[in-house]
Amino acid sequence: VSDALALLWLPFTVAICLVAIHAWFGIQVLTRNIVFVDLALAQIAALGATVAFMLGHAAQGSASHAYSFAFTLAAALLLAFTRQWSGRIPQEALIGVIYVVAAATAFLLVDRAPQGAEHIKQILTGNILTVSVDDLLLIVPLYLAIGVAQALLRRKFAAPAAGAALWWQDFLFYAAFGLVVTSSVALAGVLLVFSFLIIPAAIGMLYARRVLRQLAIGWIAGSVASALGLAASYAWDLPTGAAMVCVFGATLAVAGAAWPLRTLSSVKLRAAARIVRIAFAAVFAASGAWLMIAPRADQPLMDGAEFVVPGLRSAYMRDLEIEIWRDADEHAERYLRELEKLNEREAQSRWHGKALDDTEVRKISSFLKSYSEMRKGEQFVMREVRARARERERWAIGVALVLLGVAAYPFASRSRKVNGPNRLDVN
Amino acid sequence: MDAEDYQPRPQDLGRLKDARMVVRVGLDYDLWLDRLLRQANNPALTRGQPGYVDASFAIALLEVRGASVGGEGGHAHGSGNPHYWLDPANAEIITGTVLERLMQLDPANAKYYEARRIAFLDRLKEKLGEWDAALAGVQGRPMLVYHSSWAYFARRFRLNIAGIIELKDGVPPSPSHLAALLKTMREKQVRLIVKQPFEPGKYPAFLAERGGATVVVLAASVGALPGAADYVTLIDSNVKALAAAMKAKG
Repeated sequence: VSDALALLWLPFTVAICLVAIHAWFGIQVLTRNIVFVDLALAQIAALGATVAFMLGHAAQGSASHAYSFAFTLAAALLLAFTRQWSGRIPQEALIGVIYVVAAATAFLLVDRAPQGAEHIKQILTGNILTVSVDDLLLIVPLYLAIGVAQALLRRKFAAPAAGAALWWQDFLFYAAFGLVVTSSVALAGVLLVFSFLIIPAAIGMLYARRVLRQLAIGWIAGSVASALGLAASYAWDLPTGAAMVCVFGATLAVAGAAWPLRTLSSVKLRAAARIVRIAFAAVFAASGAWLMIAPRADQPLMDGAEFVVPGLRSAYMRDLEIEIWRDADEHAERYLRELEKLNEREAQSRWHGKALDDTEVRKISSFLKSYSEMRKGEQFVMREVRARARERERWAIGVALVLLGVAAYPFASRSRKVNGPNRLDVN
Repeated sequence: MDAEDYQPRPQDLGRLKDARMVVRVGLDYDLWLDRLLRQANNPALTRGQPGYVDASFAIALLEVRGASVGGEGGHAHGSGNPHYWLDPANAEIITGTVLERLMQLDPANAKYYEARRIAFLDRLKEKLGEWDAALAGVQGRPMLVYHSSWAYFARRFRLNIAGIIELKDGVPPSPSHLAALLKTMREKQVRLIVKQPFEPGKYPAFLAERGGATVVVLAASVGALPGAADYVTLIDSNVKALAAAMKAKG
């Protein structure tokens, strides 16, 4: 646990900072209906840094930052002016064009310099796991300054009705946002920054009307999701950015599903229960039908259930089949261990003890090939035994699943009786 | 640039249309070539013709994972680590394969090709001793690598690769994997982390800072770094960079 904490406290602190500032901009971006503007600005900043790099400036140096910022300002100006068009063309279209052209231009530039590819990737694929204290010391004052400026000028910045805004208000908004996004994308990567921007803001806007409340809800949701995402990434050995994005997505899904239930009433609970039962009924009935139609195909429900409770297999497999299955499973495991042992031996011999000559290496290779073929053979046996058992029992299991589905379905006659008298309460 | 992830250009198609011979790395390293060859539709370069040369022929492969049952398109996925040219001893096999085909396609100049190969191998032999001596201080010393590109190089020069940062292509390491690598670095006193120019610098830098190591940038193919202009300078610059980094770390 101490290893995990030593590794994760800094990413978590940075995530909190990013959530704090991005939730605010996210509310703005959602109100203005320009969801992908962060991608466009980040890509423009990356293009600026690439130009600086091509001109011979050091990557991550002050010149590189200056170029990034200048390019972002130019894009902010462009975005501010073209908002006037938005009556005829949605602004998202222009944002998309800026994104693809900036990305393609950077790609063309980098194509001329073999060392450039890493540079441009580095700007866009930050990873929150590798942030340093220096990064934190850079973003905290920056975000504080931007946050305070935004709070003071809130009325000026707050999303105006289309057409009502002065161009310089828009420009200031995009410039400030560009500054934030440029720094955050370099730290956390495009995908995660997009989640920081949109998801907490969306949850806040779902549950509150006033901006401060929206912010508070967004911050709490974002912090919880960040903590869970980091923990999941450590516990299950997952890439951090991707794990966090998925947890953020799940948080939004939970918040969305819970939304109709925010004002609890027996009618709503009953309606929710009805939907859940219909979903269960559909899954069971479809699984039963699918088993009867194609018993040898993937059976998601049965496969999932057997993965969680392997004992379920004995419900439809005969003793002999179970024995064959177990035997094949053991052999597959044994071949895998042999494979690993051989690989380990070869890797060790590269630097330790007697070096293996080419003939010995070839011998090991052919053993490796045989073992992995044998392992695949055992896995084939397992699949085949199971498929045969399912094929044999498909009618019994399939009909049982369909009946389960029918039993789970909330039939109209029953629910109407329940819903009928309550209808007056709703109104 | 990452040769495994090369984006072909229109001129490449023209080159393949006019070519009499194409030499590929094979072992799923340059899968992008398959589509390009199909498009170029040059009968001299189809699989099985003397103009189609798979340089991995007859190499003693490392890290073979076994062919998949009924692999698609005749490809043996997981057919072994494809970075075999980084072992200079394999140059003899590779040039042998290429020479045989050259002699077949252009018998008039067979003597010339053979003489060139012998000259190249002589130069390499001379260098091999030099490289072994230069790396004496690095042999057996544990190091981390970003990607498993260095298996053959490590085998030839008896280098100890104690850990790989990116276990799956393009998937960043998880925090628990990083924690395990840091533990390895502490326990085994890892002082070097090897990466290629196009590979992300963040993880190596992160581990280097926390584990007290230096990042060495090595070229896995010709042209990846300015110093790696041809095969001999490719190996030469890598050997020098490794030796210098280890010397600086003591």
